[in-house]
Amino acid sequence: MPRVSFEHITKNYGLMKVLDDLNLSIDDGDFLVLLGPSGCGKTTLLNLLAGLLDVTDGRIMIGERDVTDLDPKDRGLAMVFQSYALYPTKTVHGNLKFGLSASKLPRDEIEQRITWAAKLLQIEPLLHRKPGQLSGGQRQRVAIGRALVKNVGVFLFDEPLSNLDAKLRTEMRLEIKKLHDQLKSTIVYVTHDQIEAMTMATKIAVMNGGVIQQFGTPDEIYERPANLFVAGFIGSPAMNLRKARLSLAGAKVEAVFGSGVRFDVSDYPFITPPQEGAEVIAGLRPEHFVLTANGPFAATFTVPVQYAERTGPDASAYFTFENDLLALRVEPDAAAKLTPGQSMTVSYLKGKANLFDARTGQRM
Amino acid sequence: MTFRWSRWSPQLALLPAGLVTLVAFIGAILWTVYLSLTRSRRLPDYAIDWSEWGRQYQRLFNDDAWLISLQNLIVLGLGSALAIVFGFILAAMIDREKRGESIFRTVFLYPLAISLIVTGAAWRWIFNPELGAEHFIHSIGLTWVNASWLARPETAMYGVILASVWQSAGFYMALMLAGLKSINSEIWSAARLDGVGLFRLYTEIIIPMMKFTFVTCAILLSLGVIKAYDVIVAMTNGGPGQSTYVPAYFTIQALSAKGNLGFASAAAVLMLLITAVIFLPLVMLTAWQQQRHGAAK
Amino acid sequence: MNDLTMAQRALGADIAVRSAPYFPRKKKAITGRSVAVIVFLSICALFFCIPLYVVVVTSFKTMDQIREGTMFALPNIWTLEAWDHAWNSACSGTRCEGLKVGFWNSVFILVPSLILSIGLSIVTGYALALWNVKWAGPFLFILFICAFVPFQIIMFPLISMTATLKVYGSIWGVAIIHAVLAMPVLTLIFRNYYKDIPQEIMSAAVMDSGSFWKIFFEIVLPMSGNILIVVLILQITSIWNDYLIGVTFGGMGAQPMTVNLANLITISTGTVRYNDNMAAALLTAIPPLVIYFFVGKLFVQGITAGAIKG
Repeated sequence: MPRVSFEHITKNYGLMKVLDDLNLSIDDGDFLVLLGPSGCGKTTLLNLLAGLLDVTDGRIMIGERDVTDLDPKDRGLAMVFQSYALYPTKTVHGNLKFGLSASKLPRDEIEQRITWAAKLLQIEPLLHRKPGQLSGGQRQRVAIGRALVKNVGVFLFDEPLSNLDAKLRTEMRLEIKKLHDQLKSTIVYVTHDQIEAMTMATKIAVMNGGVIQQFGTPDEIYERPANLFVAGFIGSPAMNLRKARLSLAGAKVEAVFGSGVRFDVSDYPFITPPQEGAEVIAGLRPEHFVLTANGPFAATFTVPVQYAERTGPDASAYFTFENDLLALRVEPDAAAKLTPGQSMTVSYLKGKANLFDARTGQRM
Repeated sequence: MTFRWSRWSPQLALLPAGLVTLVAFIGAILWTVYLSLTRSRRLPDYAIDWSEWGRQYQRLFNDDAWLISLQNLIVLGLGSALAIVFGFILAAMIDREKRGESIFRTVFLYPLAISLIVTGAAWRWIFNPELGAEHFIHSIGLTWVNASWLARPETAMYGVILASVWQSAGFYMALMLAGLKSINSEIWSAARLDGVGLFRLYTEIIIPMMKFTFVTCAILLSLGVIKAYDVIVAMTNGGPGQSTYVPAYFTIQALSAKGNLGFASAAAVLMLLITAVIFLPLVMLTAWQQQRHGAAK
Repeated sequence: MNDLTMAQRALGADIAVRSAPYFPRKKKAITGRSVAVIVFLSICALFFCIPLYVVVVTSFKTMDQIREGTMFALPNIWTLEAWDHAWNSACSGTRCEGLKVGFWNSVFILVPSLILSIGLSIVTGYALALWNVKWAGPFLFILFICAFVPFQIIMFPLISMTATLKVYGSIWGVAIIHAVLAMPVLTLIFRNYYKDIPQEIMSAAVMDSGSFWKIFFEIVLPMSGNILIVVLILQITSIWNDYLIGVTFGGMGAQPMTVNLANLITISTGTVRYNDNMAAALLTAIPPLVIYFFVGKLFVQGITAGAIKG
């Protein structure tokens, strides 16, 4: 049963259409990440769900209830904000308590929930401090605590980790993931950080220009991007996208590049039968290249090295291919041996290429 | 859309202020404008004789006291402008010479804290013809000095101006000081390196940079001058004769002393118009600033 | 409504709050120019102090010494006689009960005026700044214009209205008029302050409670400490120093101290007792001066923020 669903949502700011006839439904217990570049409408969508903005048209359901016209406090949601939005004049305890002010609970129930949340987040010793006396990570915990005490089924997170430093961010990422597993609640999480999306989400909705480009599990999104935007947005270094032309010879289908390199894509699961000579864009993930010629590969070819980058445990090498850079993930040891200008033989794994229609940008 | 109480509570909270604006400001202004077209004397008379609707205004411009008021308004405005100049000089000096800044600031600003009635009382006493400053100046031998300004129609306005400048120079100094402090300190270093003289530095760089502050001060001053009332009451009561009448004083005098409602209303409407004339550039300046701001983005 | 911000900035509302940063005093040798500047500033300071000095010494003199015409001399005999007289028995118009009547009237006017004016405008400013209300922009613009309207144009209608409401000539009448006239400026001041509260805090509060008043009292009001003090000082001094509203709406029974003082110095019956007048002037000036000397910085912030009051 869907826990949250957006039905035909349209949102205008004045004359500008931000969202147009958007549909999305989230299952109970899902950790949905709305992922996209800034200005893609993901925060608008979250605010519509929270009730902080009004929809221009359409319907929002939470469970069986139509919440489109309900006040934020009556929607049964809790939200964690980017800047944490803690009440500066209230203590941590007061912050948590104010979160329950709409619920009209008996006092001991309120205290019980605060104690529970504080314990869960390990902020018990901070309960009587003011937000100004807390570190960034502690504030983040308090902000989450303020959402937790509400004991609701759906939690909203609006880029909650973007104000933390890298180390804390990794820590909190794990922690939020753990909370989700523990509480089995539904989470809608907005971010532009694909690592956050890939690590935490059970479902990702990639958005751009107010449109959901793809909705699926992290693996689906990564391995079978639905269109060029998703292909280019997810992954770092980004997927290599190159123009090619299909060439059919019996059962064999090949993608032929301008430089004459031929990729065997016979095993590609085409949705529509491939056409001879069709213009395509091939998406090649950097990590699906290997620096060897032995084996059953989709293609093997020789290209000159441009430069190599080592990031400790990992390394990327860039080659010149089709007058552009081709990114490859390589072993750090191998990267160390690469010298600019040197020609290398590279191969691409079978069954890993992505093909997009050059005209529509959609997956083939 | 279903009814949402939460949507209405902020609107309801605005109701008192909205009512005040509607009744006490907009309604009252329209009421006065209407009254200015009638022949109301002590009590409102709501009949308008359209053949001579401008009668009160005509009377107004035939009234010497009103003409004196307008003249004095300009005199007071020009005279009080000294407060801006004076304020700027003080601010520039305090800003450059940091020694004693807080003491000087405190001294220059204290007149602002006291009622204009008190200010008026003090200066009225200083200008006292028999026992005041003049007596003192004469007693030290400068018998040719005339310092009982308030006693003579030709000089009474200058007395008022002096008191006004004394009262408000500190205020403009504070605004100017804030303006000066917002100027990047590197400008001073740059000027020193370039060997620019102080006078040129101020006239060619600092003052042009502060034009917005100056305009602000000028508008505030003009609005203050139109509203000038208390200081006249306390110092001269409009006298000697009607020589220190200003529109604010004239209007209230027409209403309370002469009991001439229609006439007073006409004067008040003209006061509003004068305010609007001064206010308009401010609105335009603001719009201009915003436009520039928008263009910069 | 960015234009209002700009306009307020135009009026120095913002400048003042940013002003007066702490400048560490540089230790440098006194140059000739420094000396000249300090001498000039000191002479100016003297000019600013002369009226206060004259008023103070006169208030301690006897009438006999005043008649000698030595205005700038110190009192031969220091006496509190004039102070006593001014406070207890000086004549204001036909009544000779001293300034104490006006003093207490001023105090009684001050309290309800403060409550009404600040209460009305803080709520209005809060609603306009932090809630999504219809016509907020036009309303702010009208308020901005109202802040400049000369009192004379609404004077008679206000007298009429207060008379109809049967509050004319009472302390409540004066208090209401103070609240009405201060509303536009104070609303703009509060609104400008509240506008800087982060939107996310309001969003959080709306999700947590959703109640206009609960958010106001529990979240927003506790965050308003600074601006409340600034506005409080601005209002105390301007209400205390007001003459026009007091004389117009106070009738016979609720005339503030400034009206008493004005009557005392302008309506002379028999010989004028200048020492009484000056003592009375000082009595009237002392409350705001005390505030000024203790919290001068806040006073300056308030006066510049409220500059449009003119």
